[in-house]
Amino acid sequence: MVAVVRSSSEDVTVTHHASQRRAYLTLVLISLFCMMPFFWVVLAAFDPKASQFLQIPQGVTLDHFKNIFANESGMRWVLNSVVIVGSATILTLIFAGFGGYALSRTQAWWKRPLLYGIILVRIVPPPALIVPVYKVMLFLNDWINGLINQFTADVEQQQMLSRMFSFIDGYLGLILIHCAMQLPLAIWIMKTFFDAIPKDYEEAAALDGASQWQTVRHVLIPLALPGFAAAGLFAFINAWGDFLMPLMFTSSPELQTLPLGMFRAFLRVDAIDYGFLTALAVIYTLPAVIAFAFARKFLTQTFSGGVKG
Amino acid sequence: MSHIELIDIKKNYLGTEVVKGISVTIDQGEFAVIVGPSGCGKSTLLRMIAGLEDISSGELRIGGKVMNHVSPDQREIAMVFQSYALYPHMTVEENIGFALALKKVDKAEIKRRVMEAAQMLELEHLLERKPAALSGGQRQRVAIGRAIVKRPKVILFDEPLSNLDAKLRVQMRTELMRLHREFGSTVVYVTHDQVEAMTMAQKIIVLHNGYVSQLGKPMQLYREPENTFVAQFIGVPKMNLLRGKLQGNNFYLQSGQVVDIGNGYTSGNDLQLGIRPEHLKLQATSTQGGWTVDVVERLGVESFVHLHNATMEQLVVRVEGDCELAADIQVNLQFDAASCFLFSDKGQRLLRKPAIEQAAG
Ligand SMILES: Nc1ncnc2c1ncn2[C@@H]1O[C@H](COP(=O)(O)OP(=O)(O)OP(=O)(O)O)[C@@H](O)[C@H]1O
Ligand SMILES: [Mg+2]
Repeated sequence: MVAVVRSSSEDVTVTHHASQRRAYLTLVLISLFCMMPFFWVVLAAFDPKASQFLQIPQGVTLDHFKNIFANESGMRWVLNSVVIVGSATILTLIFAGFGGYALSRTQAWWKRPLLYGIILVRIVPPPALIVPVYKVMLFLNDWINGLINQFTADVEQQQMLSRMFSFIDGYLGLILIHCAMQLPLAIWIMKTFFDAIPKDYEEAAALDGASQWQTVRHVLIPLALPGFAAAGLFAFINAWGDFLMPLMFTSSPELQTLPLGMFRAFLRVDAIDYGFLTALAVIYTLPAVIAFAFARKFLTQTFSGGVKG
Repeated sequence: MSHIELIDIKKNYLGTEVVKGISVTIDQGEFAVIVGPSGCGKSTLLRMIAGLEDISSGELRIGGKVMNHVSPDQREIAMVFQSYALYPHMTVEENIGFALALKKVDKAEIKRRVMEAAQMLELEHLLERKPAALSGGQRQRVAIGRAIVKRPKVILFDEPLSNLDAKLRVQMRTELMRLHREFGSTVVYVTHDQVEAMTMAQKIIVLHNGYVSQLGKPMQLYREPENTFVAQFIGVPKMNLLRGKLQGNNFYLQSGQVVDIGNGYTSGNDLQLGIRPEHLKLQATSTQGGWTVDVVERLGVESFVHLHNATMEQLVVRVEGDCELAADIQVNLQFDAASCFLFSDKGQRLLRKPAIEQAAG
C-alpha cells in the first residue's frame, strides 16, 4: 500500500522534472537570443576586426577605446555626462527627500491633488514639453546672460560663466531640466517610502532631545536609505539614457554628452566603424551598471524590528 | 521637584473633543497609572504630557513650571512608546546611548551609563545587536533602558507590556516596580489592563470617554467605586449589576427575587444592585434556587460559575477551589449584605446613611 503510493508520487516528480527541464531549456534559449546583441557589443568592442556579425575575436585590443579618448573627445563626453547627470541626480534626491517627506506627513486637503499633479508631469511625453520648456528657458537664459554681462566685461570670463550657468547651452540648464524630469517619480518613491516609516521614530528622537536637523541626519536619512537608493538609481539611469534634452538644449561641442557624441559619431563616420561604436556603447553602459551595483547594497537593506506589531 | 499638575486639560481633533477636561495632580516620585478602555484618550493624554501633542486648552505644569509650550526635550521627560520605537538601524548600545550622544556627553561617560542601564535590565550580552534580532521582551527592556539612561525626572509609559506574553508580563511588572523604587522618578503609566493598574499603581486614574471617572489608590477604587463604570472596570471578573427596586432592606430583582442588602439605603425604583463575584455564596443545590448554571470556569484555585435567572439576568460567582457543577442545575445564592453596592439608574454610587443619621431619622 505504502509502496504503491510512493511509486506513484515518484512518477509525478519525474514528469515534473521533465516538464521543468523543457521549460528551463526554452527559457535559456530565449534569453540567449535576447542577450546576443550584448555579447556582440562586448566582443566587438575588443575585437581588432569588428564587423556587424557575431564572431569570436582573433585577438583582444583596446584600440577602439584609445580611439575614442585620443582622436575623439570621448573623455569630454563622459565627463559632461557624469557631471550633468550626477549633479541632476543629487539635486533630485535632495528635493525628493524634502518633498516626499512633506507629502508623506501632511494631512492637508491638497495632498492628493498635488500628488496626482506631480505624476502628470511624468505622464506627458517629453517631446510635448519641449516647446513650452524651451520658451521658459529662453527667457531665463536672456536674464542670466544679462546678469553675466553686467558682472564682467571680460569676454573670456563671460564665455566661461555662460557655459556654466546658461539655461540654454549651459550646464545649469541641462542639470535643472534633468532634475525636473526625474523629480516626479523620485518624489513618489520617497513619499511612499516615508509613509512606511512610522512617526514614532521621529517622536522618540524628539524626546531624546534631537533637533529637527539631528532627527533628519541620524534617524530619517538612515531609515530612508533604500528609498533614496531606488529613487537615485531611477533618476540616474533615466537621465543617463536621455537623448532628447541634451539634443534640444545644447549646441556647442564642449557640452556634448555621451549619447549625443555617440549619435553624431554614428552619423559622421562614412564607413561604419563597428569597433568604435561598440566601444562607445560599452562606455555608455558602464556607469549605469556601476550605479546599479552601488545602489543595490542599499536597495536590499531593509530595517525591521523597531516597532512592534 | 517633578510633580505633574493637569489643570482642566482638553484636546480637540478637528472639532471632536477626545479629552474633555482633566484635572489631576501626580505627586513627585509617584507611580500613577492611567487606565481605561480602548479609545478613551489615554495615549492622547500621555502624549500631551510628553509634548508630542498640543494641548487644546488647560494648563500642564511639571515641577511647578507651566509646560504647555515647552518642547519635548526641554521637559526632562522620557517616554516608552506603545510601539517601542527603537531605532532599527542602531545597535542596542547606540539606541540606549542616543540621547546622551546628542547631548555631546563624553564617550567614556556614555559607555559607562549605557553599561549601567544594561546591567540593570540584563541587556549586557545584547549590546551589539540590532533591534530586529531581539525578542519582544528584550526590545521592551531596551526601550526602558533608553528611557532611564537619561535619568529623567518623569518617565511616561504607553502600554509597554501589551505585546508580551502573560508570563513575561508578570515578570516585567515586578521589574518595573523595582526600577521605580530604585530611581524614584515620577511615573505615568498608561494601560487598559486593570490588573497592571491594581498591582503597580500608587494612584489609579480611571479614564472614561475623555473624563476622569475616578481616581485614587487601587484598593480604594476596589472598595469604594463611585460609579458602575469603575465598579465594573476594577476587579476580575467584573462586578455583577442587577436592576430592580429597593424597599427598605429588600432589593426586588426584575425576576421577583428578593435580596437583603442591609440597611441605610434610601428606597426607590430603577436602581442597580452591585455585588462582586467574590461576595456571593453558592448554597447547596436546591431544586428551586432561582438561578440556573450556564458555565463553570474551573481554574483549580478558584472557579467562576456563570448563572442566569428567570428574566435572563446574568451573574458570576467566585467559588474557592474546584467546583463541579453541571450546566442547567438550579442553585441558590447568598448575597453578602455588607458588600452590596447600590447605584442609581445612571450608574452613580448611592451611599448608605451613616449609622447616627439612621438612628436619628
Ligand atoms: N490624530 C487624530 N485625529 C483624530 N482623532 C484622533 C487622533 N488620534 C486619536 N484620535 C481619537 O482620539 C480618541 C482617543 O485616542 P487614544 O489614542 O488616546 O486612545 P487610547 O485610550 O490610547 O486607546 P488604546 O487603548 O486603543 O491605545 C480615539 O477615539 C481616537 O479615535
Ligand atoms: Mg493608546
